[in-house]
Amino acid sequence: MLAYVLRRIAMMVPSIAGIIMITFILTRVLPGDPALMITGEQALPEFVDKVREQYGFNQPLLVQLWEYLKQLARGDLGFAWHTGHAVASDFVSRFPATIELTLVSMVIALIVAIPLGIVAASRQNSIFDHFARVLSFIGSSVPIFWLGLLLIGLFYSKLGWLPAPMGRISDNINPPTHITGLYVLDSLLSWDMVALKDSLRHLLLPALCLSMGTMAIVTKMIRASMLEVIRQDFMRTARAKGLSERAVIYKHGLINALIPTLTVIGLQFGALLGGAVITETIFVWPGIGNYVTESILSADYAPIQAMTLISAVLYGCINLIVELLYGVLDPRVRYE
Amino acid sequence: MKSKKILVFISTLLVIMLLSACAKSSNSQESATSSGEPQVSTTASAKSSAGSTITIAYSQGAGQTMDPHDAGDLTSASYAFALYDQLVTSGTEEKDGKTVGRTDKIVPSLAESWKISDDLTTYTFVLHDGVKFQSGNAVNADAVVYSFERAKDKGESGSLYTLANIKSVTKIDDKTVEFKLGAPNHLFLKYLATFSFSIVDPSVAKSNPDDYLTQHSAGSGAFILEKWDPATEAVFVANKNYWKGAPKVDKVVIKYVAEASNRELFLDKGDVDVALDIPAKDVESLSKKDNLTISSQSSNRIVYLGMNAKYKPFDQLKVRQAINYMIDQQKLIKDVAYNQASPLKSSISSKSPAFTSEGYEYKYDLDKAKTLLKEAGYEKGFTFDLTVNSSTQDYEDIAVLLKAELEKIGVTLNINKVAPAQYRELINKKSAAAYLGKYTSLVNDPSYHYGFLLDSKGASNYTGYSSKVVDDLLAKANVEPDEAKRTELYKQVQKQITADSPWAYLYESNLIAGFNKDVQGYIFYPDEIIRFSSLYK
Repeated sequence: MLAYVLRRIAMMVPSIAGIIMITFILTRVLPGDPALMITGEQALPEFVDKVREQYGFNQPLLVQLWEYLKQLARGDLGFAWHTGHAVASDFVSRFPATIELTLVSMVIALIVAIPLGIVAASRQNSIFDHFARVLSFIGSSVPIFWLGLLLIGLFYSKLGWLPAPMGRISDNINPPTHITGLYVLDSLLSWDMVALKDSLRHLLLPALCLSMGTMAIVTKMIRASMLEVIRQDFMRTARAKGLSERAVIYKHGLINALIPTLTVIGLQFGALLGGAVITETIFVWPGIGNYVTESILSADYAPIQAMTLISAVLYGCINLIVELLYGVLDPRVRYE
Repeated sequence: MKSKKILVFISTLLVIMLLSACAKSSNSQESATSSGEPQVSTTASAKSSAGSTITIAYSQGAGQTMDPHDAGDLTSASYAFALYDQLVTSGTEEKDGKTVGRTDKIVPSLAESWKISDDLTTYTFVLHDGVKFQSGNAVNADAVVYSFERAKDKGESGSLYTLANIKSVTKIDDKTVEFKLGAPNHLFLKYLATFSFSIVDPSVAKSNPDDYLTQHSAGSGAFILEKWDPATEAVFVANKNYWKGAPKVDKVVIKYVAEASNRELFLDKGDVDVALDIPAKDVESLSKKDNLTISSQSSNRIVYLGMNAKYKPFDQLKVRQAINYMIDQQKLIKDVAYNQASPLKSSISSKSPAFTSEGYEYKYDLDKAKTLLKEAGYEKGFTFDLTVNSSTQDYEDIAVLLKAELEKIGVTLNINKVAPAQYRELINKKSAAAYLGKYTSLVNDPSYHYGFLLDSKGASNYTGYSSKVVDDLLAKANVEPDEAKRTELYKQVQKQITADSPWAYLYESNLIAGFNKDVQGYIFYPDEIIRFSSLYK
């Protein structure tokens, strides 16, 4: 098992190297001159050149690449001129927000989707099944920005039940003591109920919004694979040997249905990490998605490169975890 | 097997308990009392006690820097004006019961007085007595000399340093500084009033790495930087010892809210006190709300359609004139700017000194446009690409409207919408045959404006317009000490440019901001930079 994990990690190295090269080349090849963006509109050409020189944009591409690789080797992700901060510091301040949003929305999605999918499959064509179908239809077709604005309009603007969707915690409340950077977890760990309540209130709507898509897909996946499993011989055997329906569905059915679903969950998780731009914008959530978009629009190379690299590594890790989980769920799968 | 599971469970529990033991709740009872802020989120009580904080929702991100000498965007510029002072500053005037900023009138700031030599090349400034930086150090001649040395090499301030034609900055005594210029320069004082020539504290700047000021403040200004997190907010606390008098609020919090609909919502609900960049289309509905004040005032921003004579058919004056005759400014103002704009009748803002609309005779005239196209040999029309920056919805709306108009004379306009970085590159290389441009001159003076935009060597002359007449007139005006004569020269420049029509004039934009009724002290400046130091409630 350990050998397998190490081998898989080793296999990630060439793809990461490829991603580094491709991102580097793409950022440079795409139109847009960062020096002009840095200096602003009212700078003389000689000072634009000066900035170009200062950031090394005037160097040949290969030299720039070499400098970038050297910098990476030192563990330096570079400087994001459009925020005036080092990429690493931007990342540290924004990444926990993204992780927290992703995790919570994933939890919401799974809490709803798994039982719903099971019920829908085990009572096919019942009212639950129809409900599941309608919900996943809505989840996959409702645009996030529309849903987000609607939720804000109702819960913040009209009813006033939730605080202004502006960041992760209210201004008059101190963020919980920094342990992991995830406010919900940190406030639990430091038993800070005030911060917990407030951060949950901030998290609720964006997480709900973001969970809709995943919820829809996972419900559909679970339902489909459960339907397939239910018709298998071993399910009949399980019933025949006198197991309760509950045990049949959960012990024998669900475990088998989860394997294909797990793949989808893994992929969704990766997608959520990188692509919550719309949710982040609507809920003024200080995450990574917005940051990357801004960087691309202003041709800020360093953060684009760094974020692509980090996402690639994360994606690789999530895939690896998913693969290992196959082994847990299905004893026939062995890694050697 | 079971015992192993229990072991894992217990050890996890232990780790969690250990972590929580280390962590101290930041919202515990003690910290709540010590920080003096209500920590329980009953919003009503919390808000009433936060009366001396002003929260402003910014639209354009967190800005690039806190360093006044590096600042090149409007957001960074607004920080610089809060954190730093300059030798001189823009004046204000009372107009219709409101205080309005006048970037063309210069008044003393750190320098209490100055003398200008007869040949207009030597300026001697006497500094205000007893002014201190936020660190407690005195603002003296050394600080001024140091600040200009520093500004000289930086990208943004270096450009202004070069343009201002500063040859030397010398300390005469502790409170007197002498500037020598390469040539007479009537707008020198206006240059000095820009954020680029902020006076920084040498002891702080020198004792730290060069990029220290990017994230820290070292000025003598009304506010001190407390926190800057580009993901969420910047927090400025009042400089209680500010030499012009402490600000009337304790704190200014700037929130970065990209979506206009969010800014409006937060403003309406009272979660922010000020919201910048309110879309023109919402001005009418928001103005009707009792709890809000909407300020919509004409800034120095001009919006125009640039046509590059290097590309056919814009090489022909008649074609450029025909396009001009197809511009219905009133319609643009009504449909695109929802009446939050005014007509543009010259290549410079009407709030600029020496502005004249003389020579501008274009008005919407379909037949005239057709005739001109026919005379130019384009009776059947032509096709061209209009490069548009995707950052502002307004410009796309203009392009769509123009496209419909131009179709009437057989001209096909293709909208080439590009991201900001690509837009800047395209127009800077002068490789856009036609583009929608906007400009807000940092220094409110025709010499500065035309020096960038329409002088044949201008850095922002994206149409490649080149007229010997205009160049000569500008060169003369730049060094002309007599204001009346200068005004005359600038008027000739404007008339010549309008006659040559390298641009089609579209409109002058308004700067729109929303305020809660209890917010006072807003002063509008036509350069579009927010001075939040004057706000209170």
